[in-house]
Amino acid sequence: MKDRHLAILIGVISLAMVTGLWEFVSDHRIVSPALLPPPSSVARALVTLIADGDIWQQLLHTAALFAGSYAIACVVGIAVGIWMGCSEFVDGLLQPIVELLRPIPKSALVPALFLFLGIGPLTMVTVVVVAAVFPVLINVYQGVRGLDPVLSETARTFGCSRWRTIRSVVLPATLPAIFTGMKVALSLGIVLAVLAEMLAGQSGLGFIILDTQRAFQTDQMYAWVVVLAAFGAACSLLFDRIERFAIPWHGR
Amino acid sequence: MAARVSLQNVRKVFDDGSGASLVAIDGVSLEATRGEFLAIVGPSGCGKSTLLKIIAGLIEPTAGLVEEDGRRVAGPPARFVYLFQQYSRSLFAWRTVLANVMFPLEQTAGSRADIKETCRRFIAQVGLAGFEDRYPWQLSGGMQQRVAIARALAANPDVLLLDEPFSAVDALTRMELQTLVLELCQRNGFTAILVTHDVEEAVFMADRVAVLTQRPTRVAEIVPIGLPRPRNQLTTREDPRFLELRHHLMTALLGDAVDAGR
Repeated sequence: MKDRHLAILIGVISLAMVTGLWEFVSDHRIVSPALLPPPSSVARALVTLIADGDIWQQLLHTAALFAGSYAIACVVGIAVGIWMGCSEFVDGLLQPIVELLRPIPKSALVPALFLFLGIGPLTMVTVVVVAAVFPVLINVYQGVRGLDPVLSETARTFGCSRWRTIRSVVLPATLPAIFTGMKVALSLGIVLAVLAEMLAGQSGLGFIILDTQRAFQTDQMYAWVVVLAAFGAACSLLFDRIERFAIPWHGR
Repeated sequence: MAARVSLQNVRKVFDDGSGASLVAIDGVSLEATRGEFLAIVGPSGCGKSTLLKIIAGLIEPTAGLVEEDGRRVAGPPARFVYLFQQYSRSLFAWRTVLANVMFPLEQTAGSRADIKETCRRFIAQVGLAGFEDRYPWQLSGGMQQRVAIARALAANPDVLLLDEPFSAVDALTRMELQTLVLELCQRNGFTAILVTHDVEEAVFMADRVAVLTQRPTRVAEIVPIGLPRPRNQLTTREDPRFLELRHHLMTALLGDAVDAGR
């Protein structure tokens, strides 16, 4: 208990020192405030964004793009991963394609996607889906492959159909692996959503960060970065809560 | 009496990957009549578990026949249940005790409330009343195996296949579970086939004990037990006939290794 308080105290001191140093180098023009405005003016810009309500439109755009694409990626990744894990035929069919596409940094596909899907929402969604689907798919697949054979034998001795075995045994038993994949996909998905907005967006956090940078409104630019960081942290926190609720037996 | 379960010349040959084949089971014939308790003992690595999985329809024999009431078994028969040695891995970690026991009944007709009520009775029968809402990882090993037994009962079996189900619990718990299983068999008229490496357990529980040889596995002999039922953990184990049988089976299994420190 005491150790935890101490750790928090050290963390706060560390943050205060970094912010203090940032304020110092900016105030004394060691780094030009045009490039790095002091944290006080970034904070003022942030308060203005919130007070004026500008924050919501951009935040909602990113949140909607990310959430929609992430949901598609998770459903597709889980379904295909389980399918490949349970069927030798589907595994043989899809494994080479997955292995071919997986190592490509998905951002490299953006220019090609522009050609086919145009510079717009369809491309943005596709980029995020393609980036987020692989970690889910791979983890689910390996999770199914690594399932304890005793579990499937148990299902067989109770005369479970193939479909019931998948639904009532394979799926819940793979939940820890599903969550591991979804966790990786979460951070990747946010990165690609912001990148997509920078390259193809008309609004959203990625778009506005680039837009304020081009307009030399650096205090606003940093304020938006702070909003983005908070969004990422909130998603991660929410995810951990859901994970603890959904797989209480894991790690016992 | 007609055999409830019978094996005729069952052979199992494994391909060891390099093209060479390994004869695991070489022509085993056995039978268990209705209501009989058959134990199978053998040296470790002799393929006892493989044999039981063949009976359960989980593994195909290379040759030979497994029959249930004279009909050929293909796939797990509906009224056979299998108790795994690895009970903790066989239970569904994401389900409570009650939900685990309900698993075999979820596909059947009948209201959920009725099924719950039935399953509560099975849970009470194995002595776990009050633990319905716990998760398996919150229970001790012996209690987990009791959950597995209650879940087996819910499947409405008449043949129990027991794959060293008590080998992973402490000695006292093992005796409690042996008594519980014998009571359940007696009360429900189950046919049971127990695979074990524990000679005393085999003698204590079974009507007949089949002794297997080393690989390639055959049946060395079948020993009728003939101890009175109900068996008692104290008096049965002190019965001179029990000690005689134990002596005989130990000699058969250990061979020259009976004497220590020669």
